[in-house]
Amino acid sequence: MHVPDGFLPLGVTLAGYAGAAAVTALCLSRIARRPDPRADMPRVAMLTAAFFAGSLIHIPVPPTSVHLLLSGLTGVLLGWFAFPAILVGLFFQAVMFGHGGITTLGVNALVIGLPALAAGALFRLRGAGGPARDAVFGFAAGGGAVLLAAGFFAAVVIAGLPAHLDGELERRAIGVLALAMLPLAAIEGAVVASIVGVLRRVDPGLLRGV
Amino acid sequence: MSELATASTGTGLPRDARLRIGVALTLGFGFAAVTRLEVVPAMLAVAALAVVASGIAPRALARRMRGPGALLVAVLLVLPLTVGQTELARLGPVSLRAEGLEAAALVAARFGCIVAVALAYLSTVPVLRLIGALRALGVPALLADIALLMLRYLDEVRGELARMRVAMALRGRPLSVWRPGGAGLLLAALLLRAHHRADRLWQAMRARGWGAAPPEAQPRVARADLMALGLAVAAVAALVWLDRAA
Repeated sequence: MHVPDGFLPLGVTLAGYAGAAAVTALCLSRIARRPDPRADMPRVAMLTAAFFAGSLIHIPVPPTSVHLLLSGLTGVLLGWFAFPAILVGLFFQAVMFGHGGITTLGVNALVIGLPALAAGALFRLRGAGGPARDAVFGFAAGGGAVLLAAGFFAAVVIAGLPAHLDGELERRAIGVLALAMLPLAAIEGAVVASIVGVLRRVDPGLLRGV
Repeated sequence: MSELATASTGTGLPRDARLRIGVALTLGFGFAAVTRLEVVPAMLAVAALAVVASGIAPRALARRMRGPGALLVAVLLVLPLTVGQTELARLGPVSLRAEGLEAAALVAARFGCIVAVALAYLSTVPVLRLIGALRALGVPALLADIALLMLRYLDEVRGELARMRVAMALRGRPLSVWRPGGAGLLLAALLLRAHHRADRLWQAMRARGWGAAPPEAQPRVARADLMALGLAVAAVAALVWLDRAA
């Protein structure tokens, strides 16, 4: 789900940086309204580390395996901190491992970070419900974030590639990507629902977001 | 911060990490601006010069590029067979098309050049110095704190994850797509353990005065480092001019 360097034209990469800067500024301004904006730094940094290490968790899907994106979970647990946390994680993935890219950092932050913010907002809508309601909203937040990120990814890559795909091919490519992402979205939704269930029993404070 | 902002190398790279970031981004965005195949040889030459100046071993660079290269290979295979109208060759239902081939070559060249320069200039800077340089360039303190603490916790998260996976395997219940709850339990336990440990660590760091010290004055940028940035800007300007003129 990371757009690599070189795939997008200059205009799109610069627009990505501008968009990511604007969203980061919005998130930081919301965080600054809190009585102690740094009080939740441990949880934010730890979740960022988990997001960074998320690619280590491979779930076998014969004949291959998939790794978790964890953007929905990040949004559910971190709220407004999710976007800055994902931005930091993506920067180090690009610099240390070459995953994603330095010119596409802004685009990748938007592709993965905006669905995380949406997932967090969706999960807050659940109100004070029971375990089943939490699980349903957890599933929707986790799976929805994957599908939304896949949609953004497909749109950006298809629009940015230096070749004009014909309409039919474009629709087919998006269809194939959506089909390929459905199992991952279902798995990630189930994983987030399961995590929400455990946290609700053991440490419900973590589900209040930050 | 002054120590953090200075990257120590014995190569032709800028010593100041702030300038290294500047050079890497200038060259990266400059390469992203190339839209014509005719300019690709000049772009490759600029990237090669920059990488040679960095002093990074070619084998180390190739090893680091292996991971991101996987997606590139997929694109190189798909684009020439799916994009364009001009057939170059046909084998049964599959045809090789000129437009797709050109697009794939351009993407591959831009990808290789940007990744090589980014890895050569940024991955060789110690991470703490990189964060210090970003802070000096105006990145908000909150993002720098997230980055520093994330790196502090990363080893713990990885270690905890490895131990829990071994324990799951020993119990005969490895991760499976048919039991996504297993991955959920694994992650939830990981988050809970890491969170409690991270909380204690953070309290101790704040008690020792973390974040209370005022930022140190920034060192002056060395003339040689400024020249490196100037050279990068000049090279990018030349590439953009060539791209427009081609």
